[in-house]
Amino acid sequence: MLKYIGKRLLWMIPIVLGVTILVFTMMTFCPGDPAEIILGTTATEADLQAKRVELGLDQPFLVRLATYMSDVFIHFDLGNSWLTGVNIIPTIMERMPRTVVLTVVTLIIAFGLGIPLGIMAATHQNRWQDHISMILALIGVAIPNFWLALLLVLLFSVKLGWLPAMGIGTGIAGLQYYILPALSNCAGALANCARQTRSSMLDVIRADYITTARSKGVPENVVIIKHALKNALIPIITMMGTSFGRLLGGAMIIETIFSIPGMGTYIIGAVNNRDYPIVQGGTIFLAIVFSIMMLLVDLLYAAVDPRIKAQYASGKKGKKVKK
Amino acid sequence: MMAGIAEKAAVKPHKKQTEFARVMKQLRKNKVAMAGLIVMAAECLLALLSPWIIPYDYTAMDMANCLKGPTAAHLFGCDDMGRDIFSRVLYGGRFSISIGIIAVSISTVFGIMIGSVAGYFGGQVDNVIMRLLDIIQAIPGMLLMIVISAVLGPGFINTVIALSVGSIPGMARMLRAQMMKERDNEYIEAAQSINCGRVRIIVNHLIPNCISPLIVQATMGVAQTITMAAGLSFIGLGVQPPTPEWGAMLSGSRQFMRQAPHLVIFPGLAIAVTVLALNLLGDGLRDALDPKLKN
Repeated sequence: MLKYIGKRLLWMIPIVLGVTILVFTMMTFCPGDPAEIILGTTATEADLQAKRVELGLDQPFLVRLATYMSDVFIHFDLGNSWLTGVNIIPTIMERMPRTVVLTVVTLIIAFGLGIPLGIMAATHQNRWQDHISMILALIGVAIPNFWLALLLVLLFSVKLGWLPAMGIGTGIAGLQYYILPALSNCAGALANCARQTRSSMLDVIRADYITTARSKGVPENVVIIKHALKNALIPIITMMGTSFGRLLGGAMIIETIFSIPGMGTYIIGAVNNRDYPIVQGGTIFLAIVFSIMMLLVDLLYAAVDPRIKAQYASGKKGKKVKK
Repeated sequence: MMAGIAEKAAVKPHKKQTEFARVMKQLRKNKVAMAGLIVMAAECLLALLSPWIIPYDYTAMDMANCLKGPTAAHLFGCDDMGRDIFSRVLYGGRFSISIGIIAVSISTVFGIMIGSVAGYFGGQVDNVIMRLLDIIQAIPGMLLMIVISAVLGPGFINTVIALSVGSIPGMARMLRAQMMKERDNEYIEAAQSINCGRVRIIVNHLIPNCISPLIVQATMGVAQTITMAAGLSFIGLGVQPPTPEWGAMLSGSRQFMRQAPHLVIFPGLAIAVTVLALNLLGDGLRDALDPKLKN
């Protein structure tokens, strides 16, 4: 098992390096002269030239790439903002927790409600419970998260005045600021989770061991939770990884609606201000977070399914099971 | 040579017709999917015909009717500049739906090319391609699109490119997986044994047999892409506001939503209905194309 974790962690290195190269290369094609963006259009040509040398823009691309890579991976420095000159890493560290809280709360709501909904649909296949939950799921997938956010703000903040429409708070009371953003972001993931749970529950629910368990006199809810759900969990966990990525991306937009000072507002604001080091650094950082999350999902498989654990331990077929 | 081509032309459409007819027959049994297909066809038609059927010019401003709610004259009301929202939603369908369809077509074509090469050749080629796709997929989709649109700048074409790049890996992976299942079949061996070229095997024999999951994925992908395009426009990166793309309309009217909620309700509803219809159609297609998948 440890060997597998080690192997997966090693695999992350080329991926992260690749992401860095990819993002850096893309960002060099950004329109506009960085020196002019920093100094403004009124700067003299001499000042501009001096700034270009200071930023290393007079160097060839490969040299700049190598400098950037060594900054990022040896000095853990993603550079400074062009507009404010502030180092990016501390700002990310300050903002990242908010995005993570939003994403994780959303994930918990989505799977906390989606799995029971899916189970209900599967255990009442073709009855009204099934139809209602699947109609809800279809609607949930169809509604764009940012539109749902606007509608929820209209209802709960403007009409009813129950919840704050924007900003963040501190302490436990601060959690209320995350309710609307999380609700609006979770609809799609919740719906997908419910559909996935339903179909993978339906796959296992007619298996012989379920009949055996029932005939032994095991109570129905134990059969569903312990025997059926546990075996239906693998595809649901797979979905959790992809959902996390989507929710993280969705959080970018949701944050701008609710003015949550997280990574989304940071990166999108930087795009609009043409503050490219932030876009670059933020993207690389989020890609690393996402890769770690995917690794955790892979490890969760092993926790759920002893068969996979055995394969990881022997280290032979681990790769095959991953997909 | 000529005769061969003519013969092929005569045989091929017939064969395709029957396959298409079979799928359509299956699909017709599924009322929900048919509803999705009809809604989608109607939307496309309305969008196509919109210049001739919309009651008002989509750019015409009427300051007397600013932020006016829905009335008989203005079915969906008017926006902050007195433009008729009904006309704008219909006309906006041209942008939103075509962004979805074009972007997905591009990503499907590239996905098929990359996926079939990886799936057919396997080994090192496959390894290199898959690792490259891993890198692209390590960046969450929306974020990748934000970065690409930052690099390319706003606009219709750039938005289409940004949206298509992100969904290439998914398509390629799906085709590759399908190809790996398919390539060890006897008919492929038969084709190889009569000295059939690699390109011909891939294009004529393998891809047609691997395409069904991609069709389903593409249908769902159009829905997803429309949402994402709207999201990009909403945060100010995709199609820019005077253009009546649905996301851009939402973005433009956000600040007026307290006084005039109808400004944000109708464009959003248009997105939701389109996505719903496409998803229903996609579900139906999945069942029709692959009876094995049906539970």
